[in-house]
Amino acid sequence: MSAETPVGDAIAINASGLAKTFHDPQRGPVEAVKGVDLDCQRGEIFGLLGPNGAGKTTLLRMLSTILAPTSGRATIDGIDVASDPLEVRRRIGFLSGSTGLYPRLTGRETLRYFGKLHGLEGEALDAAINTALDAFDLHDFVDGRCESLSTGQKQRVSIARAILHDPPVLILDEPTTGLDIMASSDMIDFIESRRQAGTCVLFSTHILSEAERLCDRIGIIYSGRMLASGTLDELRADTGVEWLEDVFRELVRRADDAALKETQQGTPAETR
Amino acid sequence: MGDPESQGLRRSAPLSTLASAFAVARKELGESFRDRQTLIYTFVLPLCMYPAMFWIMVQGALVVQGQKGAKDVTVGIVAAAEDVAAVREAIEVENDGGGNVTITLLDETTETASSSGREDLHALVESEEDGAPDAILFLPAGRSDDTPAELFYDSTDSRSEIARGRVVRSLREWSKTLRETAALDRDLDPEVLDPILVRSMSVAEDKDKGALMLSLMLPMLMIVMCVLGAFFPAVDLTAGEKERNTAETTLLLPIPRLGLHLGKIFAVCATSMIATTLNLLALGLSAGHLVAQLSGMGDGKFSIELPVGALLSVAPFAILFAFFVSAALTGIASLASSFKEGQALLGPVQMVFIMPAMAASLPGLELTTTTAWIPIVNVALAFRAMLIGDVETIPLILCAVSLILTAALAIWFSVRLLSNEEVALSSETLSLRRLFSLLRAPRAAS
Repeated sequence: MSAETPVGDAIAINASGLAKTFHDPQRGPVEAVKGVDLDCQRGEIFGLLGPNGAGKTTLLRMLSTILAPTSGRATIDGIDVASDPLEVRRRIGFLSGSTGLYPRLTGRETLRYFGKLHGLEGEALDAAINTALDAFDLHDFVDGRCESLSTGQKQRVSIARAILHDPPVLILDEPTTGLDIMASSDMIDFIESRRQAGTCVLFSTHILSEAERLCDRIGIIYSGRMLASGTLDELRADTGVEWLEDVFRELVRRADDAALKETQQGTPAETR
Repeated sequence: MGDPESQGLRRSAPLSTLASAFAVARKELGESFRDRQTLIYTFVLPLCMYPAMFWIMVQGALVVQGQKGAKDVTVGIVAAAEDVAAVREAIEVENDGGGNVTITLLDETTETASSSGREDLHALVESEEDGAPDAILFLPAGRSDDTPAELFYDSTDSRSEIARGRVVRSLREWSKTLRETAALDRDLDPEVLDPILVRSMSVAEDKDKGALMLSLMLPMLMIVMCVLGAFFPAVDLTAGEKERNTAETTLLLPIPRLGLHLGKIFAVCATSMIATTLNLLALGLSAGHLVAQLSGMGDGKFSIELPVGALLSVAPFAILFAFFVSAALTGIASLASSFKEGQALLGPVQMVFIMPAMAASLPGLELTTTTAWIPIVNVALAFRAMLIGDVETIPLILCAVSLILTAALAIWFSVRLLSNEEVALSSETLSLRRLFSLLRAPRAAS
């Protein structure tokens, strides 16, 4: 599978040979991400599809500068994540299950804090907060401490926090995990709305229906490797199957077969 | 979309590292002071602990003294027949708080109480039987120096101790009366019988005695207060953040990571200083009251006033020390993955600070060019020297240099740990044994 590589200013996210190795005291080096290539354009929704432990979260954390890559290169909006992580953080909105809200701050204080650190001041800050309050209907609970909010309310404040500074790139790690039907539906609506706004959205999920519904392009990640990426039709053509679930299983089967062959070829050499 | 500037969001220039640190510290402090536990540890406890503790001490002392005075004791007397009445009168006069002294005249007389009889007296004092005397006075006939009076009592028994105290005081008074009577009978001044009369006259004023006491006590207390003040926020801002699932949120802040970590250390340091200041304030206000109450019970009198001027001169050293403690505790607490585990991790670590402070309160240890280099001990000794105004310049300068170095080292240590990806995001508490490998590990993106 090969997707056309966007060029020029249209590229919002680009990763080339991006890899991450953790050092586990018991297991030794663990390769969580193995040389991933990826690119996403402005106004595009790119879904990262993979099972638990595939390396999705690690990949997204590297792109958002929470983790430093072991090797490879990545740029966000043309800015290198390794050489200028601060500027990258100013240009992204990041949301995941582990980006909780500060429980003892109110929703408004949270927005103000993030807005200020993003360089918004005075009227610009007030305007950005008011826009977020209107867009996500936060007025009724924005002055309550975050610890007292419901899951859905917290989710809305979190989204507002992530896009308050109007970032050109939005990175979402399993954004609907743990949400009820209504909150999940709101999140899907929000992601779709970003396409119209021209934002590049990169989101990971293991819910196939979400990927089918939302994504312009899909990347299949498994065991730290990007097995394939492209539009749904391109993936179907490549695998010869109709449903995304079958596409995923076919790509995983091919990867497992390839890994088995590698192991079998390596066994005589190792036992010699 | 794209460049936010083009979307109408006017942004100021990115915050500098120091400005970021202050912004983070302000937010962390504001958030911390909304937490009930932090409020209790930082404000309520310091302000209430000393008055409450001292009130309990005073009341306890009053109760113990009252109980001692009110306790009825039985004293047995073995004396020559002609002395019995006088001894009895002397002992019964001694009554220090409403307690009665019951006199039991034993069958033996001084003439018949042989050495074997004394063993019986011993046994009688130890006896648990009702009516057995708590102490027995054996007063030899003739009252010569060769045959001194003997008092049998059980030092492990509180009633027996009280009985002994009353008998000794009674006999001292009786002896004085006898001496004075004898002198007057011979037309002599009673003081002639005591040719060298010594009256100890301390040249120190009452407040100097208080200052000495404070100089021994305050340095250790200040160090303990500083450590305890930093303890809770250090855990809250590191392990607590992981537990609240906000560690990753914080790492996304568009500020330099150094500013972020310094901000946390600033917040811990500020809380520690607030707790120390409030502790000192409460201590100063309640210590004077305590001393006034207790000195009224003892022989000596002295007053305690918090040496405000000396404390202000100590302040720069205290701030440097607070940075040292805050950075060290914050760094170590960051290894924990939950608040509870953070507390367990820092429990032994805080003793590393408190034990040297206790050692430094030993009399005779002074701030010298050598001790000025020993971390923690040097601060305690410098505090003590400054509180009593006995400061030598060179050791003090060396102490300041040592403090700056240790504070800088602790901040480096803490920032290095907080910058470690594994430390920042691990869902498990990391062992202290891995400390050096974590410090050597490559740092995350800044």
